Formats: sequence, C-alpha cells, structure tokens
Amino acid sequence: MSAEALRFAPGVRFRRENERTAFLLVPEGIVELSETAAAIAELIDGTRSPDAIAEALAQRYDAEPGALRADVAEFCESLRERGHATEA
Amino acid sequence: MSAPRPLSLLCELTYRCNLQCPYCYNPVDLGAYREELDADAWRRVVGEAADLGVLQVHLSGGEPTLVPETALAAVAAASSRGLYTNLITQGTFLDDALLDRFVAAGLDHVQISVQAPEAGLADRIAGTTVHERKLEAIDRVMRRDLAFTLNCVLHRANHDRIEATIALAERLGVRRLELANTQFYGWAFENRAWLMPTREQVRHGESVVAAARERLRGTMEIVYVLPDYFEDLPKPCMHGWGNAFMTVTPNGTVLPCPAAAAIRTLAFESVRDRSLRWIWESSPSFTAYRGTGWMPEPCRSCDRREIDFGGCRCQAFAVLGDAGLTDPACAKSPHHDAMRAAAAVAPPAEFVPRRMRALQ
Repeated sequence: MSAEALRFAPGVRFRRENERTAFLLVPEGIVELSETAAAIAELIDGTRSPDAIAEALAQRYDAEPGALRADVAEFCESLRERGHATEA
Repeated sequence: MSAPRPLSLLCELTYRCNLQCPYCYNPVDLGAYREELDADAWRRVVGEAADLGVLQVHLSGGEPTLVPETALAAVAAASSRGLYTNLITQGTFLDDALLDRFVAAGLDHVQISVQAPEAGLADRIAGTTVHERKLEAIDRVMRRDLAFTLNCVLHRANHDRIEATIALAERLGVRRLELANTQFYGWAFENRAWLMPTREQVRHGESVVAAARERLRGTMEIVYVLPDYFEDLPKPCMHGWGNAFMTVTPNGTVLPCPAAAAIRTLAFESVRDRSLRWIWESSPSFTAYRGTGWMPEPCRSCDRREIDFGGCRCQAFAVLGDAGLTDPACAKSPHHDAMRAAAAVAPPAEFVPRRMRALQ
C-alpha cells in the first residue's frame, strides 16, 4: 500500500499557519498536527506515495529514508482509516 | 486571563424551518429572532471571525437554505479567507442549480440529517413529508466533489432502528455517518421525557455501532454520540466556554454555545452593537465561565477540570437553574441524581412540535 500515491479526500484540507502550527481541516472538525505530522501532511499532493514522502523528508532532514518510512506509513494509514485520505 | 483563539464559528442564518422536529436544540422563543442579519452583516461577521483566527464556518439554523443568497454570501466570504465551510441542512431545497452555486462559492462539506431510516417514521418526526426528497438531495450532493456526512439524531422513537439507519447509509454509499443521541436543549428539553431513550436502547446502540465500525473500517466512519443522561463523566462541552467555539444567532446575538441563550442569568451581546473581537475577548458573557477560575467544587480540585471543563453550562442551568454549578451529568456532582430521575420519567403520548409561536 505504501507505494501508491495518496491524496486528501474531498472535504479534507491541510492548512499551515506558521513553522510550528498546522491544522487538518476535516468534516466538522479541526485537528492540530504535530510538527512531524504536518511535515508529512504537507507532502500529500495526489502524486507522492508514502514511500516517496519518506524519501522527500529524508532528503530535507538529511536522514535515512528507512528510519522515516514506518512513521510516514503509520500516519498515512491513520488518515486512510478515518477516510481523510485515499489512493489518488 | 487572555482570550484563547476561536477555531470554529456557527452561523445560524435563520430559525425558520419547514420541519418541526421535536429534538431541535433551537430556543423555544423562536419568534424573538425574526429580525435577521442580512448578507452584508454576515460577510462582516465571517471576516471578523477570520481575523480572530477562526478556521471553520458552519452554516445552520433553522434551515439555512431558506435564505439562499445569505448562505451563499457567507460561504463565499469564508472561502475567500481560506476558511473551511460546512452547510448543515435538511436538504430538500438543494436542487442542482443551488448546489452548483454553493460549489462555485467554495463550499467544502454538507451535512444532511434523516429522522429515521424509512419515510413513515421519519416524516412523522419531521411533521411533514420530506424523507424521500432528502434521499434525492443526498444523491445530488454525493454526485459532486463535496464531502458529505449523513446525520441521524437518536431518541426513544428511532433508537431501535439504528441498524436500519446504518444499512441506509451503506446503501447510499455514505463515507461518514453521525448517530447522535439528542442533546436536551431548547425544544428537545421541552420534549425530554418523550425523546429520552432507555438504558437498554443505548447499550444496544453501542454494541451495534461497535460491530458496524469493525465491519466498515476504511469504508465508513461512524460517530456515535452518547446521551448525557446515562453517563458518569460530563462531555467537554464546546471544549470549554469561550475557548474555541462561538455561535451567532439569526438576529446577531453571539453565544459561547448554541444553546446558551436559555441561560437567563447572562446578557449576551450582538454583532449589531459590538465587534466580534470585543465580544469574544472581553464581554461579560464570554468571560463568565472561561478557564477554570469560575469553577466550584467538585470541579475546582478535580484532575479532569481541564479535560471536561466542568461539562456543560447550559445543562447545569437547564437542570439545576444555575449555570455556575458542575454539570449534573458528572457522577461527582451532588445533583447527579437529578439526571437519573429525569431519565426515568415515563414518556407522554405525544411530543410538542417545533414551531415559531412561543410555548405557553
């Protein structure tokens, strides 16, 4: 599943306020994201897969993609389970 | 204390409605709100809310599509500021043309409620023939690029139909279903004995929902809201008074909670007279129960005081006559028995339908 591109479901929007504050606006709710979650959510654009997102983050933070892959996959899976994201 | 950032604004555009549901939380003195804000006033309110940090704007009423131009103006104003917009409607006025205009204005999400899974019971509760037309409206919404939530308010008369309600949602292909037990405010408080589910119904509902969630994981999200009267912990109402939410009523009165107008011991301000910022940050009504400083015992020394915020001020007022007391829904309240007693009252044969004329 981690190889397929992910997009936000209709009615789900990412909103960044500043470096530390970002929200996911969802049907009838607002979720304040941690800095890590925000960094992942920001890269969900309908073309990147969770693996590609881990890759991009690894480049940005000069880290091993393998170390990030599990965290990214877990966050993306939680979005999918809530219906906030789907395969593009 | 300094005021926190509001995140959510509920715009009640009109209290007029073509339905007469007995569980409505609108105030019983609907006629007092006939002087409605116009589209320009709502544009200003939405703009001021965005300046304060609000991210989500909910349009409701009454029935907001009875004032379509006002509703469209509010959506467009919110959308132009990047805010998320949600239309809470009974749906039957949402024809293709109006829906397309809402989409063009930037609408993100629609919530339509059904009164029951089948027309006979649903139309009896609504007091008019609407169920089949609602299903058509739901279909129109789902054929567009809009997020959609199906809602059903639960009470004694439809609680046993919860499985059929979930089945209806499945048949319609709904991704998000909200099964919300009645909140007893306004008209619902008047009809409390008629609406009150039994403990058995609530427990049955919980197990049905748990099984359905398991079965529909990844396909449908089901929100199940328990009734306060069977709980031992109060709900974290509005995430605290004047903490994240505000409501503007049809005549411009600003409330910390949609049911707060019933609290006669507070005077609420209007956007006709004051800025939304002053009302949110400094008005006596919004500061009355903000934070934890107002709390009596047992809240004051409770380690959950910043989790449930003392529960609901409107419920404390409705049940106990004092909005400054611990919500009686809490088992630690010395008045918790009042909730148990109310839940045990035998239901009357008929309910009082929601109407514009005042109750006697």
